[in-house]
Amino acid sequence: MTSSRRYTFRRVFPSFAGPGPSGLSAAIIAGICAGASGALAQDAAPAPGFATAAQVDNFDAPSLEPPAAPGLNFYGTPGLMDTPSAEMLPDGHFATTFSWFGGQSRYNLTFQALPWLSASFRYNGIRNLNLFGFNTYYDRGFDVRFRLLRERRYLPELTMGLQDFAGTGVYAAEYLVATKRIETPPLRFGGAAGRSPGQLKVSAGLGWGRLGSYGAVGNIGGKRPSFVGGGTGGNLSYDQWFRGDFAPFAGIEWQANERWSVKAEYSSDAYVTETRISNVFERKSQVNYGLEYQWSKTTRIGAYYMYGSELGITAQFQLKPRHPIIATQVPAPAPIVPRSQWATKEEHWSQDWTESEYKRTRFRDLVAEGLKPHGLILEAIDLKGTEAEVRFRNPRYRSYAIAVGRVARTMALTLPPSIETFRIIPVRSGMGLSTTVIRRSDLEELEFSPEASDGLMAVAAVTGAGPLPETAIFSEELYPAFTRSISPYAAPAYFDPARPFRLDVGVDFAAGYSPAPGWRIAGTIRQRAWGNVQDGRASNSVLPHVRTDQSFYAQYGTTLENLYVDRSWQPRRNVYARLRAGLFESMYGGLSGEVLWKPVSSPLALGVEANYVIQRDYDQRLSFRDYKTFTGHASAYLELGESYQAQIDVGRYLAGDYGGTFSLFREFENGFKVGGFFTLTNVSAAEFGEGSFDKGFYFRIPLGWLLGKETRNAYGLTIRPIQRDGGQRVGGVGGLYGDVRTAHRRSLRAQRARFWE
Amino acid sequence: MIMTQLTRPLRALAGILSAVLVLAACSGGPQDAPLEVEIMQVVGQQVKQRLKRQPERPPVTRALLDSLDETYIEVTIEDDGQRAYLQPQLVKQDSTPGQVTVWLTEDAVTLAMRNGVLTATRGLRNDMLSASALVHETGGAMGPAGGATGARRYEFAALDNRSQVFTLACTVSDLGPETIEIIELTYQTRHLQERCESGPGGESGVVVNDYWIDSRSGQLWQSRQWAGPTTGYLRIRQLTL
Repeated sequence: MTSSRRYTFRRVFPSFAGPGPSGLSAAIIAGICAGASGALAQDAAPAPGFATAAQVDNFDAPSLEPPAAPGLNFYGTPGLMDTPSAEMLPDGHFATTFSWFGGQSRYNLTFQALPWLSASFRYNGIRNLNLFGFNTYYDRGFDVRFRLLRERRYLPELTMGLQDFAGTGVYAAEYLVATKRIETPPLRFGGAAGRSPGQLKVSAGLGWGRLGSYGAVGNIGGKRPSFVGGGTGGNLSYDQWFRGDFAPFAGIEWQANERWSVKAEYSSDAYVTETRISNVFERKSQVNYGLEYQWSKTTRIGAYYMYGSELGITAQFQLKPRHPIIATQVPAPAPIVPRSQWATKEEHWSQDWTESEYKRTRFRDLVAEGLKPHGLILEAIDLKGTEAEVRFRNPRYRSYAIAVGRVARTMALTLPPSIETFRIIPVRSGMGLSTTVIRRSDLEELEFSPEASDGLMAVAAVTGAGPLPETAIFSEELYPAFTRSISPYAAPAYFDPARPFRLDVGVDFAAGYSPAPGWRIAGTIRQRAWGNVQDGRASNSVLPHVRTDQSFYAQYGTTLENLYVDRSWQPRRNVYARLRAGLFESMYGGLSGEVLWKPVSSPLALGVEANYVIQRDYDQRLSFRDYKTFTGHASAYLELGESYQAQIDVGRYLAGDYGGTFSLFREFENGFKVGGFFTLTNVSAAEFGEGSFDKGFYFRIPLGWLLGKETRNAYGLTIRPIQRDGGQRVGGVGGLYGDVRTAHRRSLRAQRARFWE
Repeated sequence: MIMTQLTRPLRALAGILSAVLVLAACSGGPQDAPLEVEIMQVVGQQVKQRLKRQPERPPVTRALLDSLDETYIEVTIEDDGQRAYLQPQLVKQDSTPGQVTVWLTEDAVTLAMRNGVLTATRGLRNDMLSASALVHETGGAMGPAGGATGARRYEFAALDNRSQVFTLACTVSDLGPETIEIIELTYQTRHLQERCESGPGGESGVVVNDYWIDSRSGQLWQSRQWAGPTTGYLRIRQLTL
């Protein structure tokens, strides 16, 4: 009896695993990674005796770096200045570009959705256009590009593009372009090591629309309707694609080394609207020149001489979702010590401890303490003679695989030797998300095996989380629990023609109270410090103003952002449910319920959400306006492979309109997410107003990707070209799918490499 | 007019108050911290790290080492010269040939070596998650087996919460006897060199690991081993046994 307690303590602080080197003065010990390397520069002199004849350095070793990305043009797609090339960005890359010349600025976002398909969104301003009732003309547009042929030994790459293919179409153009790349010898200058070869890229193409407006050589389908600004837009302008005059364009780029590149192009864009109808700049030549410099892994800058009269600049930021800005670093875990090394006597393996409630409580506390350094929180533990089930909360790791791995290690270091089967269950809002079943002897055997990750995944099982066993003991520290936070917030508003970007900033005071598992009472008070959203334009919507009264809501500086009671539970296996009552978001409060069916290994999930909502008063305190409605959806979620997900929601929207939303996302394993959506309802294009129907795109950048730190937080942003009242949904409710999906089998398997980290 | 005169200082006060609160962003309780709070924390840590001075190190002498009872290795990252002293944390055997020793720094970085051949790192960026080693099939001789040829599989943490595997074809050759010095002591060693190249279709690259093994006792005194694309080469010396 007493012996079992003793070895348990030894497991937590094994003598040989002590706090670390102690004999050597701490002053001479500096961690491998601690601190700035500059201060240690005196150590950089090579230690004698390591140099050898055939020595190579890390540059020669295999690399994790992604392939070099091509330079982008003024429209944010691979190319020269105003003309495109046939190149594609590496799969999954996300590029943001700013370009400017002659008073014309373009902000572009391009996402390489598939190896052969990219999509772009653009916001542009043309100063001094003085047309369509605007001095500076702002517009938005979408592009899409398809690669038709890959580059071969003798054949060029061939790409088809539709530029500004929907909307009002100020930059509307279609093209076919071919590019051939030729390797050139590496050159060492301008800060480049000159170790990788250069590239000569020759492009030529045929353009329609804007790219067919100078030097046309032919015509298909007669006259193309000319551009008229200020329309409602939003419809695909397929009736004019590849119509009208077409003209050749060409360009050449020499990427001399990994830093410098020079460009020249012959543009087939006559800038008719800008130079003939209006007087934005003077066009003297069709040949443009440029010089670009790769400043860092993510930043490229360029300077240009455009149309024989204007200087231009670009700044290009290449974000690679699969390649974080800083790779994450997590403190090393203590290695698993096989039980054969410390449980050497027969009585160590006895199961007598199960009969003592005192001992079971002690083991619970040991596991809870062991999880704390990993940032994990024990919810409950169930101990049997040979089996232990741990339910834990994970507020730190985006990847559940590493969280499950750290729990498994903690269990192996703290639980009595007779326990052989570990059942590990991540918990969110009181709901068990999945069960990973691992044999303890597999952990002991596989930690240092040559294929540790694959080996463990082969012997571990991931199943659904069953109900909480009646014998489970809860952590005493968790319920009731208070949480609170003070944090700054930023609430932007976009694309008002008078001022394209508005912003409110201030501070959120949030508090929550969890009386029991699954229950939560929470609220947020918002204090604005500065902002100009309140100066936004008033709504001209003919529908109920369910979203367009944003500027009225922004008149108030101190508001109650939300206040609600929330209950989450699992009615049965594979089913998750949530009820919420109160003030959900700044504009709506009411009653909301959601049910989700998502088996742990299924790529398909189905959900239903029903809300009865009342519009809140503009002052966002406790009172309401007259508008009440029922809104709800049936949803289907499908994992498509290659990190793609599709979602279809059908139901009734806030303005009482009926219809459906289709969303397509690409969510990388690290939580980086890019996607788009559109909603079609029984509201007509005329009733809807500018844009004709609701659509937008979404991206989410995980904080860990930016900072190299383990965190579940992310910066997410939904951008709609125009915010109207049709096809709108209530916020601050739903979201069960996102909560459970990442702890399910597909994610755990895909991220298995993190288990042993 | 009076209204604006009153509200302007009030507005400024609200701004200052918020700025103070922003700097003091915080959270507590068993839940996820808000995004902004975490950003503040990271920025704060970075500033602290910048301001912190590196401690001066007294020179490591044999006299100092002789006064210690514990086993130490010295590890230097070749690319930036950072250095650490590590102690063994665990010695164990599994069903793969060789004996695994886990070495620990003071700041929670570990290196796992199978008979002295680096097979895992933890606590670095893009860690070596696991690796195979061309060690002797039987017996406890350290370093790779002389004359051995075969594949070494390296798995690194990388790419979007997943890993990147490099499988390299390796040959171990004996470069003959060499005398090396480690902090005032000289050792007669054999120099083994393991040259690994990627096969066709794989990520191209060459890795060369060097091992200096005592001619008589078989002790691995010194090695230069690749720890991955991000960390580069490590120079490892056995200071005390």
